[in-house]
Amino acid sequence: MNATGEPRPVLKSPGHSGRRRDAFVSLCSGLPGGPTAVVAALLVLMPVVLPSRTMATEILIFAMATLACNLLLGYGGLLSFGQAIFFGSGAYLSSLVMMHGGFGLLPALLTAAVAGAILAALVGALAIRRTGIYFVMMTLAFNQTAYFIAYTLSDWTGGDNGLLDVPRPPLTLFGVTLADLSDATAYYVFTAVLFFLIFIAVRKVIASPFGSTLIAVRENEARAGALGYDTRNFKITAFALSGAVTAPAGALYAMLLNFAPLENIQLSMSENIVIMTVIGGTGSLLGSLLGAGSWVIISDILAEIWPRWLILTGGALILIVLYLPGGLWGGVESLMRRFRGGGTPHAPDGIPNNDGSTAQPME
Amino acid sequence: MLYLFQVLNGLGLGMIYFLISAGLTIIFGLLNFVNFAHGAFFMLGGYLCWSLTELTGSFWISLLAGPPVVALLAWAAEVTLIRRIYRLPHTFHILVTVGIALILQETTIMIWGPIGKSIPVPDGLQGIVTLWNFAYPTYRLFLIAFTALIGFALWYLLERTRFGGLVRAGSESTEMVALLGTNIHRLFARTFALGVGLAGLAGILSAPIRGIHPFMGPEVLGVAFVVVVIGGMGSFTGALLGGLLVGLVQSLMSTIWPEGASLMIYGTMAAVILLRPYGLFGRA
Repeated sequence: MNATGEPRPVLKSPGHSGRRRDAFVSLCSGLPGGPTAVVAALLVLMPVVLPSRTMATEILIFAMATLACNLLLGYGGLLSFGQAIFFGSGAYLSSLVMMHGGFGLLPALLTAAVAGAILAALVGALAIRRTGIYFVMMTLAFNQTAYFIAYTLSDWTGGDNGLLDVPRPPLTLFGVTLADLSDATAYYVFTAVLFFLIFIAVRKVIASPFGSTLIAVRENEARAGALGYDTRNFKITAFALSGAVTAPAGALYAMLLNFAPLENIQLSMSENIVIMTVIGGTGSLLGSLLGAGSWVIISDILAEIWPRWLILTGGALILIVLYLPGGLWGGVESLMRRFRGGGTPHAPDGIPNNDGSTAQPME
Repeated sequence: MLYLFQVLNGLGLGMIYFLISAGLTIIFGLLNFVNFAHGAFFMLGGYLCWSLTELTGSFWISLLAGPPVVALLAWAAEVTLIRRIYRLPHTFHILVTVGIALILQETTIMIWGPIGKSIPVPDGLQGIVTLWNFAYPTYRLFLIAFTALIGFALWYLLERTRFGGLVRAGSESTEMVALLGTNIHRLFARTFALGVGLAGLAGILSAPIRGIHPFMGPEVLGVAFVVVVIGGMGSFTGALLGGLLVGLVQSLMSTIWPEGASLMIYGTMAAVILLRPYGLFGRA
């Protein structure tokens, strides 16, 4: 009986990761300076083009969370509906240490990162005891657990009302005040620098032997295990990294709003992060920025005209999964390729499956 | 006496969890399909109950007509959309059904508004039953009896009828059942409708006790996942015992530690995962 949720033979595409890397390299070579330069240019352009600095900051914060989700889903093949655990705890923890512990900006962010990594390693270690759909269901159940914990500890988290009066301390290093961040532009610049550093770091991680092994584990866990890799450790490490990026994003969000709402740790936040990741495109880091950006911009425009805009998101998610598995970024890639007329035609990368294979888009 | 009260409450709640999880499990068993919209259909059942009760003035009509309406919607979703993605990996199932759940939730808010509603306990089941010095709400007793009946009917359907035989055979080998001349598309659509209809029925039954609100889908989905992680996906017995265990834990904890009652459900799951990673009835 095929009812255990364990791997069943799926549409298999051997050697996919190699092609993914090739496609990525060939695309980057077409852009002056590669993705890093593209991101740097976008970071400079965003506050100029977008209606507000706050919106630009929000995009970067969600792009961080999306990057971290992408690291798990796009590279590790791990679909986690528990990202809000780290996002929400990061927001709460950093706010609490600033409000009650007298922590400065950087120590508070560091606290969030460390706590996020530990929490994510714990959640990951428990959830990967099962594979396939059980894994996904457990991440979702753990998110509910975290939500109820936050709800129960209302003395600390403010429960339904959220944590109010979260400060946004100035940027200090070794007691020297470097910048006052109360201004929206200053806070944007700070977030942008942080985002840029994280983007480079995640790229380095993916290009490292660790990243390649993670992709190998995604593609065929049994084979990677047979080669002597401790696949459990790789998955837990991926989780820890993901938590270490997501939690500071939550912290930055709390400082942006001066408020840490209960929604930060709700399942719907996890869903939103996953949706941004998938819509932007899994397996490409620029896709994460694109996914978060389009989400924040569209929600901002539509929320005023039509509060039920999430219907469109649901529809878009279904359409993208069915017809554009490479996400928006995959679409951009194939458009650019067609526009340039060169290069071999290349199917967009599929959304990786938990079984460790990559599905092809539907014909 | 307080504990007896809570045990009965837990049985009722557990049977509702059982109905939801049984639907999830039956669909997964035959179709190898993960339905993340299951909670949304549960919510829809609750809202249909409210509307039909308002419209006809009778809870009983909504109990009779509601589940078929939910099942019909599920059938339509299967035929138009879900049928196309069976052959894709689970990740695709999850993302598509998350999309469906979002659409259902937002549509519900558009039709019925964002604020929750309460549904009166149906005529004839209001009040309490007194046995010696023990009093218990009539509706909750009815709930236990009725869900037990449904559970038995479901068991009969799956174990003693031709349809159930096909569902079980299909769970073992879909190809073989198709080769033996069964219209597998029709069987899949019916099974999906049946499973989702059970979620709708559970939504209707729990509405007079817990009320309804548009965001109850994810909450219920989380509990259903706990039940199948504990009981083992694809196992009917697992869904029953898992559902009852979760219901009892939640109900008993609500007297000991009211704020942490929901939390304890997930604690139970974590404990089961640590002790028996494949659930109580799951196979490796």
